[in-house]
Amino acid sequence: MSRPAEREPLIRLAGVTKTFGHDGVPVVALRGLDLTVHRGELVAVMGPSGSGKSTLLHIAGLLDADYEGTYQLDGRLMSGLSADELAPLRNRSIGFVFQQFHLLPQLSILENAALPALYARDRAPAECDRAARQRLEQMGLGDRLDHRPNELSTGQRQRAAIARALVNEPSLLLADEPTGALDSKNVAEILDLFAALHRAGSTIVLITHDREVASIAERIIHVRDGHTIDGVA
Amino acid sequence: MAWPRLLLRFALEGLQGQRGRSLLTMLGMGIGTASVVAVVSIGLVGRDYVVSLIEGVGSNLVFAYGTGIGPNPTELSFEDLDLMRQRVRGMAALAPVLDDAAHIPIRGEPRVVAVLGSTASYYQVRNLRMTQGRFFTETEDENFAKVCVVSKELARELYGSVPLGEVYLRLFDLRFRVIGVYQEGVESAAALEKSEAAGLVAIVPFWTLKHVGNTRYVDVVYIQAQSPETVPTVVEDLRQILLSQYGNLDGYTIESLDTYLTLVDQVSDAITLGLMAIAGVSLLVGGIGIMNIMLVTVTERTRDIGIRLALGAGRRDILLQFLLEASILSLAGGVLGVVIGAGLPLWIGFVYDVAVPVSAASVVIAFGVSVLVGLFFGLYPARKAADMNIVESLSYE
Repeated sequence: MSRPAEREPLIRLAGVTKTFGHDGVPVVALRGLDLTVHRGELVAVMGPSGSGKSTLLHIAGLLDADYEGTYQLDGRLMSGLSADELAPLRNRSIGFVFQQFHLLPQLSILENAALPALYARDRAPAECDRAARQRLEQMGLGDRLDHRPNELSTGQRQRAAIARALVNEPSLLLADEPTGALDSKNVAEILDLFAALHRAGSTIVLITHDREVASIAERIIHVRDGHTIDGVA
Repeated sequence: MAWPRLLLRFALEGLQGQRGRSLLTMLGMGIGTASVVAVVSIGLVGRDYVVSLIEGVGSNLVFAYGTGIGPNPTELSFEDLDLMRQRVRGMAALAPVLDDAAHIPIRGEPRVVAVLGSTASYYQVRNLRMTQGRFFTETEDENFAKVCVVSKELARELYGSVPLGEVYLRLFDLRFRVIGVYQEGVESAAALEKSEAAGLVAIVPFWTLKHVGNTRYVDVVYIQAQSPETVPTVVEDLRQILLSQYGNLDGYTIESLDTYLTLVDQVSDAITLGLMAIAGVSLLVGGIGIMNIMLVTVTERTRDIGIRLALGAGRRDILLQFLLEASILSLAGGVLGVVIGAGLPLWIGFVYDVAVPVSAASVVIAFGVSVLVGLFFGLYPARKAADMNIVESLSYE
């Protein structure tokens, strides 16, 4: 395995400060946080609840553009971009895996997995479906394509969500407590999946408070009181 | 092309998740649209009906008469009539009417029959239709011919359905040959209560009646103007004649049907406008119903919207999807409304066998307005959806 210094940085956060509650009592979620994640890394971000780790994920995932400091994703400056500029970048560069899966209940998992590709608007709908099917088959859900999320087990739902996250082949996979809603058997299954994706070259940032989950990471970043404690491993 | 179709798919998927609610919203919108279609149709049909009544009495018609009240002699004299013949400009025909009465036995009972004396042009001026025979001629008038035409009602009373032959009517102890049976251009013209020709009436030549009857004045003078443009000239000339004769117009009335037509236009416009305002209110209520339901929908689907935004949907994608949902609701409501609003009059027309025209303009207007209502009232909820904070909406329960 090559050393981190030789890899190119994918995420570079510098002096990121995030304050909530502008008109009430201001609460500082992140204070001057610095973080670098290199291409191909599997990083776990750990910290107690309220430490700011979710806020970190929202900023890194381009869901929250309201912060101070600079953020470079794959060498491009993200801080200061408008919501309309961020939407296509989020669509192509980032895949999300959420604790609560966040699948649309009225759609089949095939339709769910195809959504990011459809919103990208550069492929015909049939081709989007094909890409989604391929990803779902890869996740072992080839015989469940027309099922709705509530017809699947929680483990299957999270695999469908991972298929959706991968459909646009993003450069970064962000997972927020991806095993938080799963039982132990499914936890192992999903962690194996992340490990396999990592081996295949994906850059993955896992947010968790679970040591078992963090154990698959090659580097663990601890966040406390809005900044990293041992950021560079 | 693929993208609009995809947005349409998203919108339909959204509506499918709330079928009952969508149907009720459509119904609300439909009733609003139906009332617009119905109101405009009713307004137009009503106006056309009244106008046809008035025009049936005679077109470009001006008439003058004494009211019988006031300091003046208050009836038109034969001298007035002569002056009118000489001085009124822009007239196509003039028909003075003498009004007399005769007792005629009908099935043994003596009945009062109105006997009118007028010129040959009365037929044209008053827009009469001959159901049998003919009207008398100018020559017959000048030669004091003892001929008459009778109203359909009188003919029915006198002869039943027997066709006209050598039939005579005894008036003022003289035998008048019945040469025709008339009816008024519009049967319901009598509804305007302006017609002396309605009821049991016999019309004889003017000069004949002047000689054999007891008339000392002219009951009414009808003048048909050459065109709508010369109507004011005719009215003004009549005024001048009466002013020169009596010094003022007390006890005399000069009217033209144009006055009535203008009045009808004004009244029907006002009524239609009032009804439109009421229909507009129901459209407004329908629109607010759409806004209401869309606001509920947007709130309920907060997490759905957050997920779409997280997956990379643009704000415009979300805006268009919800705008499309609102438009589909109002357009479907509009279609429903047009079907009800146009179908009901057509159905009534079919059942009662009467022509109930549906105004095509009202259908187009109602259609367009309903779509605009959807877009207008859908915009605010759609903006609300598009401007959602992604992080907050993802954690919405």
